[in-house]
Amino acid sequence: MGGLGALPLVRGSDTVREVGTRVAVAALAALVVGLLRGWPSLVTAALLLVGGIYAGQLVADDVPLDVAAPAFAAGTLVAAELAYWSIDERTRAMGERGDGLRRLGWVAGLGVATLVAAAVLLAVADAVRARGLGVDVAGAASAALALLAAVLLALRRGPSSA
Amino acid sequence: MSRRGGARLGGYAVLAAVGLVAALALRRPELAIVAAPFALLLVLGTGLAREPRVHASLTLETTRSLEGDDVAAELRVESPARVDRLELALDLPEGIEAADGGDVRAMRLEPGRERVVPLTLRGARWGAYDVGGIELRVTDLLRLVVWEQRLRTALVLKAYPRPETVGRVLAALDTQAFVGSEVARTSGDGIEYADLRDFVPGDRVRSINWRASARRQALVVNERHPERNTDVVLFVDTFVDVGLGGRSTLDDAVRAAATLAARYLERRDRVGLVGYGGILRWLRPGMGVGQRYRLIETLLETGVEPTFTWRDVNLVPARILPPKALVVALTPLVDPRFVAALEDLRARRFDLLVVELDAAGLVTHGPGRVGRLAYRLWLLEREVLRARLERLGVGVARWGDGSSLGEALEGVRTYRRYAGRARA
Repeated sequence: MGGLGALPLVRGSDTVREVGTRVAVAALAALVVGLLRGWPSLVTAALLLVGGIYAGQLVADDVPLDVAAPAFAAGTLVAAELAYWSIDERTRAMGERGDGLRRLGWVAGLGVATLVAAAVLLAVADAVRARGLGVDVAGAASAALALLAAVLLALRRGPSSA
Repeated sequence: MSRRGGARLGGYAVLAAVGLVAALALRRPELAIVAAPFALLLVLGTGLAREPRVHASLTLETTRSLEGDDVAAELRVESPARVDRLELALDLPEGIEAADGGDVRAMRLEPGRERVVPLTLRGARWGAYDVGGIELRVTDLLRLVVWEQRLRTALVLKAYPRPETVGRVLAALDTQAFVGSEVARTSGDGIEYADLRDFVPGDRVRSINWRASARRQALVVNERHPERNTDVVLFVDTFVDVGLGGRSTLDDAVRAAATLAARYLERRDRVGLVGYGGILRWLRPGMGVGQRYRLIETLLETGVEPTFTWRDVNLVPARILPPKALVVALTPLVDPRFVAALEDLRARRFDLLVVELDAAGLVTHGPGRVGRLAYRLWLLEREVLRARLERLGVGVARWGDGSSLGEALEGVRTYRRYAGRARA
């Protein structure tokens, strides 16, 4: 989480650095309290704040397409997984031997997969920028279709019974 | 199984939604790239999650144990489909604990393969406990969806009271008609020598004392004391329970009652039970191993039920308090209704013994000088109460911390011997 917060601060202008540092401190505090008290909503808030620093740096410095976005995406997901895992472990369940390593491998794999997928998305985004309106329309249509499919899937499953 | 979203579900939904909206609003595709993995996980997690079917059962090595003893148990779990993470929590009532602290277990289940989880349960306090409750919690691979189920089976673990140390129990002043281990005061067939008397037709030849007959020049026979049993009624005070720091007078009363019942039954005495308090419980005097289990099972149901009703000994059926029975009262001598019942029993000429479960160590004085003074007055009142009972010919054995029940009973053995002569 520290690395995620440091990335935009290191690259950003003085203004971004000044404001971002305060937000990062708030994010860190939210994360610490969330982990100590077992409140997942504070973990989400911390991740949102860190994302906010990143978004602020992108907008304020008006950088072209950021090549570090896949790394930031993978880092955010890994940080979220680790934070929620930490909250999961607050239960007093006695796990089996190797559970921790298995889960760690799963999170690492998830991070790598995210890195790859985000890199592909970045390449697609770069291509969209170069080709203009047609690709924009295709992207919007595919997003609408995906949303429709998700809604239909949710309706079909319906509420579960106890 | 009931289904609900895990902690990640809401968090990832918020992160994905905020990221995508921010990407649109700020025209930064990088934010959509950051939000996309969360959205993808949400779609995959909720779409692929299937309700698991987990079968779980708990078996105990034995359903009866002594308090403080370990009882081995086995938790068997099976699922026809793969379960990535299953959390099993035993819904243990207060008084029962997992000896190794592992009443919550997490595991993976392979399809169709039964898992057996060894557990150790311990009854920290005597009682009958329902230990058949199992809570299941299953999470999917992405930990987004949680299924929960509560299983309940009829499984009762009985933790019998721990026996106390007693060397010799106190004998009743009067014996009954059945054969037992107590030497009766009357003469008859027995082992213990009593007296000599003249021979009368019908006396057995083997009972003739030939040496004495030679001296007297007439036939004399030995008289002996027969061995008889006694009736003992355990009279447990359930009006009030005084407790502090894990020790309580009711716990002590039940342990003492179970110990005394076992010891008297070993002597072939008939033992009965009266739980005298908010709820009146009784068990008719009987003998044998079966009676021992019946007594302990009844004791396990003992509890304090608050009441303001003034109870009377007349409520107890006459067959429960047979004549010439030794009534052993187990009480902290705190509730005046129980003290009144003791005086009533003594007035009815019952052979009464009070085992006082010392509550003085369980009560601390209030703050300030007035609190200390009130505490001292209370202690003095208790002394007066004991003296009042002893004037009635009732032996009071004080049993508290640091002494065994046997020591407390020995303290009143001599008193009862002389008090018994005085009453006779």
